[in-house]
Amino acid sequence: MRRAAVGKSVQTMGNAAEGVPDETLLAGLGAGDADLAVAFVRRFQRVVFGVALSVTRDAVTAEDVAQQAFEQAWRHAQVYDSRRGTVRAWLTTITHNLAIDVLRARTSAPVDPAELPALLTAVTDTPERVAVARDSAAGVRRALAELPSTQARAVAMAGIYGMTARQIAATEEIPLGTAKTRIRDGMLKLRAAFLPEDVGDE
Amino acid sequence: MSEMNAMNCAEFGDVAAELALGVLTGRERADALAHLEHCDACRERVRQLTATGEQLLALLPAAEPPAGFETRVMERLGLAEPSRRPVRPPRERARGRAGTKRTFGKINSGTRRMLAAAAVAVVVAGSVLGGWGLHAAASAPAKPALTTAALLSADHQNAGEVFLYNGDPRWMYMSVDLDDSGNGTVTCQLIGADGRVTNVGSFRLSDGYGSWGSPSWVGGSALVGARLLAANGTVLATASFPKLSRTYPADSA
Repeated sequence: MRRAAVGKSVQTMGNAAEGVPDETLLAGLGAGDADLAVAFVRRFQRVVFGVALSVTRDAVTAEDVAQQAFEQAWRHAQVYDSRRGTVRAWLTTITHNLAIDVLRARTSAPVDPAELPALLTAVTDTPERVAVARDSAAGVRRALAELPSTQARAVAMAGIYGMTARQIAATEEIPLGTAKTRIRDGMLKLRAAFLPEDVGDE
Repeated sequence: MSEMNAMNCAEFGDVAAELALGVLTGRERADALAHLEHCDACRERVRQLTATGEQLLALLPAAEPPAGFETRVMERLGLAEPSRRPVRPPRERARGRAGTKRTFGKINSGTRRMLAAAAVAVVVAGSVLGGWGLHAAASAPAKPALTTAALLSADHQNAGEVFLYNGDPRWMYMSVDLDDSGNGTVTCQLIGADGRVTNVGSFRLSDGYGSWGSPSWVGGSALVGARLLAANGTVLATASFPKLSRTYPADSA
C-alpha cells in the first residue's frame, strides 16, 4: 500500500519537479524526503551512470558506482556549496572519484589506449551526445581539440582515467619526463582556455 | 623537510597539473603539498587547475542506466517508503564570493584529486579534506546527524558557518568569510555547556576567507558553541549550537 502511495507521489513529483532547482532537490535528498530524492535521482541518473560507465566501461560496475554516488550525495548534501560549482558538477566529481577508485583497484592498466581516440572524438558528434551536451562541454571539447593530440591524450588519460604520468609513459611508450610535460602543458592550455577574464581577482 | 629538499614555485609548477588531477604520487606529492602549505600563489594555481580538471568531466556522455536503477537507489538510501521526516528548507548558501566547503575522506587513490583541492583550501595537520571531498562510505548509510550554526562576527555580521557531524565517525567543518581579517592564522575553539573551552585546531585565512575541518571533535552533545580567535587572542567570530542530537527530531516520533 505504501509502495503504491510512493509510486503515485513519485510519479507526481517526477513530473512536477521539472522546474525545481537542483539545489532544492539535493536538499530534499539530504533531508530524506522520498519524493524530492527520487526526483533528484531521476534528474541526474543518466549523467551519473554515464560518467561511471565511461570510466569503468562495465555496466554492472558502473551501476554500483552510480548507486554509491547517489548515496554519497545523500550523505553529504548538507555540505554542498553552490559557490563551488553546480550540483551537476559536484555529483559528477563524486561519481568520477568513485569510478577512479574502482579502476585503480581493478587493474594496473586503467584504460586501453586504443579506446582513447574514441573517447576524445566520439564525444563531439553523435546525436545522443549532442542532445545531452551542455555549453560547458562544448567549450571543453573545443579547447581540447585545439591541443596537440599528444597533450590531449595525456590530459584525458590523467584527468578522466586517473592515470599517473608513469602509467601514461608506459602506455604511450614515451619517457616519464615527456608524459609529465604533456600533462602540464595540456592542462595549462586548457586552464587558459577555460578561465574567465577576471580570474585571479578573487 | 629541510630547506634543501623544499620544492620551489617553479618546481611546483611542473607538477601542479598532476596534483590537481589527483595523479601525483609518492615523494613528489608530499613535497608539493608541503609547498602549498606556505604558498598562496601556488594554492590558487592548483585551485584553477583543479577546476579545469573538473570541467574535463563534462566530456563524459550521459547514458541510460539499467531498468530499475532508480528503485534500487531509493532502496539503498532507505527511502523506498515515504519519509516521515519533514523536509528542511535549503539553507541560504549563495553568499559572497567563490569559496570552498569540504568534508572529509580517507586517503585513497580516488580521493587524490580531492586532496589536491583540499590543500588549496585548508591545511589541517593529520586530517584530510577534499574539493568535493567525501567521507569514504561503508555499506548501509547512517541517518544524518549534522548540526549547522552560523558564525557571527563581533559586529553580528554573518561570518561563515560551522558544521558538526555527530555521527560515526564524527567530524566538524568550518567555513569563514571575514571580510576585513586579511591573512593570518586563526584558532577554532569549542565551548562546552560547562564553560570549558577546547582548542581544536588552527588554520589560515586568506583575504579573510578560509575553511577548516577536523575528522573528530570532543565534547559529545554538551557543546554549546564555537569561536574563532585571531593569533593575538581576539575573538573574531562566534557560533551557538542548538542542542546536538544524533537524529533529527522527527525521527523520534
